[in-house]
Amino acid sequence: MTSDDVLRTHLQELRRGTVVVASLTALKSPGYGYGLLQTLARHGFNVDANTLYPLLRRLEDQGLLTSEWNTEESRPRKIYRTSPAGEKVLALLLDDLDAVGASLASLTEGDPA
Amino acid sequence: MTTLTDRYVHATVRSVPEARRDEIARELRASIHDMVGDRLENGEDHVTAERAVLTELGNPDRLAIQYTDRPNHLIGPRFFVTYQRLVLRLLLWIPVPIGVLAGVVDLVDSGSASAIGEGIGAAVLVALHIAFWTTLTFAILERVDVDPGLPGWSVDNLPELPTGRDVSVADTCASVVMVVVMAAVLVGQHFRSWVEDGDGGNVPVLDPGAWQPWLLIVLGSLVLELFIQLAVLRDGRWTMATATANLVGGLLFAVPVVYLAAGEELLNAEFFSQIGANERSFDLTHLGVLIGVVLTIAWDVGAGYVKAWRSERLTSAPSSEPQAVR
Repeated sequence: MTSDDVLRTHLQELRRGTVVVASLTALKSPGYGYGLLQTLARHGFNVDANTLYPLLRRLEDQGLLTSEWNTEESRPRKIYRTSPAGEKVLALLLDDLDAVGASLASLTEGDPA
Repeated sequence: MTTLTDRYVHATVRSVPEARRDEIARELRASIHDMVGDRLENGEDHVTAERAVLTELGNPDRLAIQYTDRPNHLIGPRFFVTYQRLVLRLLLWIPVPIGVLAGVVDLVDSGSASAIGEGIGAAVLVALHIAFWTTLTFAILERVDVDPGLPGWSVDNLPELPTGRDVSVADTCASVVMVVVMAAVLVGQHFRSWVEDGDGGNVPVLDPGAWQPWLLIVLGSLVLELFIQLAVLRDGRWTMATATANLVGGLLFAVPVVYLAAGEELLNAEFFSQIGANERSFDLTHLGVLIGVVLTIAWDVGAGYVKAWRSERLTSAPSSEPQAVR
């Protein structure tokens, strides 16, 4: 395993959970799979399509997203939206993300605990 | 006309649960269409764009696994440790005894040298069965959502640190009893065998001519073995000295037996004819005893040295007590 691979593995681990946070945040305003992928990419979340699409389904199964088919356009699209339960979970996840940031900051400052 | 997209969607949804197949297909098709459309706007031609998008989505089997949330491994971390320990333990204890048993049964049955192959074959077959069925069981466990109630781990399971006394009284007793029983059988069969000739006379299992001096040497090796076991118990561990004494004892036992068995002077031919066994089984039993004794003694001598080497390494290892920091 080269050091590049090591770095890639660690970055992947670090980013894994943040995709859920980003998706729940972005889908507060309704969106469809590929649209969300582009939005996330624009904001620096480089998710693979084959990771994101199944993830959306899982979040829907868990009740964190709701969905409906939009048949108004020429081609029907499945539109997702963050559910009230999803918003609650998102708030908790964001708090935790802040807590991680704060913990890291206090570690860096070398607080003599 | 079927397109690459049609084939890709089919390949993906064929292995997801049927109830959600249509919806996943519909959504996936829409997503692929969106992605291709984006590339068309950037001036790519349709064929290139479609290929690129499907390549980006990757192996459909992999995608299907993501959609179904099925475990992507045969046996996962939840069961792996238990699985590994169980398989190793079963493989360690079961195939060899069964192989030996099968070999002995075949030897008695056919009386031919094919018994060795028969025994090895049986052991390999049993090992394969153990590996296969245990793996299958755990692979199924991984896929059904039940708590099998396997024993968990607690601090009480921690192994003791080696204290230098790694020889238990129970081990010593077992060895001593074995030696005494062997000696008793050796002497007993000569004076009071369980087979009698036509006149009610005693028919020893071993050739009576072998007693002087060979079997007396064997008896002597058993006495030496007795002292070795007691010395090991006293020291609490095997040392290079006891291991070497064990080597001498092993040679004292093996050399006479091998010498006699090779010359077919170990077993009593009369005994064999009394129990109705033929010449061939007489030959083969000699061969079997010869191989068995060589293997057993080699194992025993080797084990003595390994234990001695291990305990000397442990006693010379630095203590793990934390040093005081100044």
